[in-house]
Amino acid sequence: MSDEHPVEDLAAYALGSVDAVDNARIEAHVVDCAACAARLRDYEFVVSALPYGLVPVPPPPEAWTTISASAQIQTPRKSRRRSRSRLPAWLRVARWPALAALLALLVIWNVTLERELTRRSPGPAPGPEVEALSRRPGRVIILGGTGAPNASARIFVAVDGGGHLAVSGLPPLQRERTYQLWFVRTGRPAVSAATFRVDSSGRAWVKVEPSVSLDDVRMIMVTEEPASGSPTPTGGDLLIARPWP
Amino acid sequence: MRRGPSAGAGAEEPADPELLRRMRLGDEAALEALYLRYGGLIFTLALRIVGDHELAREVLQDTFLRSWDGRETFDPGRGRVAWWLMGIARNRAVDLLRSRPHQARLREQTRLQSGTHAGEPAQPDAADAVVLRRLVIEALERLPIVQRVAIELAYYGGFTQTEISRHLEQPLGTIKSRTREAMERLRQVLRAALIEPTREPGQRRE
Repeated sequence: MSDEHPVEDLAAYALGSVDAVDNARIEAHVVDCAACAARLRDYEFVVSALPYGLVPVPPPPEAWTTISASAQIQTPRKSRRRSRSRLPAWLRVARWPALAALLALLVIWNVTLERELTRRSPGPAPGPEVEALSRRPGRVIILGGTGAPNASARIFVAVDGGGHLAVSGLPPLQRERTYQLWFVRTGRPAVSAATFRVDSSGRAWVKVEPSVSLDDVRMIMVTEEPASGSPTPTGGDLLIARPWP
Repeated sequence: MRRGPSAGAGAEEPADPELLRRMRLGDEAALEALYLRYGGLIFTLALRIVGDHELAREVLQDTFLRSWDGRETFDPGRGRVAWWLMGIARNRAVDLLRSRPHQARLREQTRLQSGTHAGEPAQPDAADAVVLRRLVIEALERLPIVQRVAIELAYYGGFTQTEISRHLEQPLGTIKSRTREAMERLRQVLRAALIEPTREPGQRRE
């Protein structure tokens, strides 16, 4: 513990206004200094009272609906994680070969899908980079047509990042429009993963670069946007996938 | 919807630690009770910081989802549930704020500084919140303006002491002194009324 009490900094620390370099010094000090810890606790109480002085504004009613829905989605995931740890010993041993077999099937399925699309699509054939991507372990998610009932898509996201999207059944667009793929998170802006156009038969093969973890994503969707793409979705959803295991 | 620290709280309403205990067992009703108790306050705080209803809603949602995700890691020894929630909300809101250009943030804070700690309470049913609001408003009004500005830029503006010093063109030591003096004054004024470490919001005052 430093002998010098950070008297001048405690108030700023409680307000969250200390420069990063001083944070650790203050935190280390209050661990061992009862007087400063008590003073900091008083300041934290004052800080917690400050918002009560604001003119209260009621939150929008839909906020709780979103929170509640997301909490319900998260709970089963956690339960599943707990239930895995309670597997009998023989099943815990057997799960790794089973997982390996599943991954092998996934790779075969992706390669088959890639070849099939290459054979059928008159558009640009996936290059060696996409072919290599298809052989990596990852997750496949099916998108169903909502605003475009005849359309469907599969998105593959590799566990170590990167992925690709195979689309069929979307109508070709005029020059000034594009399709855009979105990863939608709870309580945060949607993230654009790709913009693309389809060929005359309504198909496309697109490399995507998801910048977010699928664990944080509650929905994947495709919308129609202006040719330059949009910072947030503006068109109605044409294809959607949500929530997945 | 009830809002505030113990809005409408009766003796039968569980205290915050009890709600956290139930949340750890997966009880979503406890999360809802916590939201009813603090959702309005968190939204008001977020709106004051980010100045935009849509962003404030994002902060509100994120705060309660993070509290749900982190319900097993909350340490009561480090403070109250309300402090924890406000800390999550304030950090998230400041993160959003910091993604904006610096000058835009300053303009925003200058605009928001006037009148945000004034006006009549909108929820006269929340008796404790009304008293608390009045106390805080009066305590802030008693501060010299330079001290109040230092507090508001720090807490609601998300600025560090160094940034405030640059913005106000005052020595860093002066800003630190103003901040400390303001907090000391607030502590003294609010102490008798507020600092009751054994009482959690949601519990009735004796």
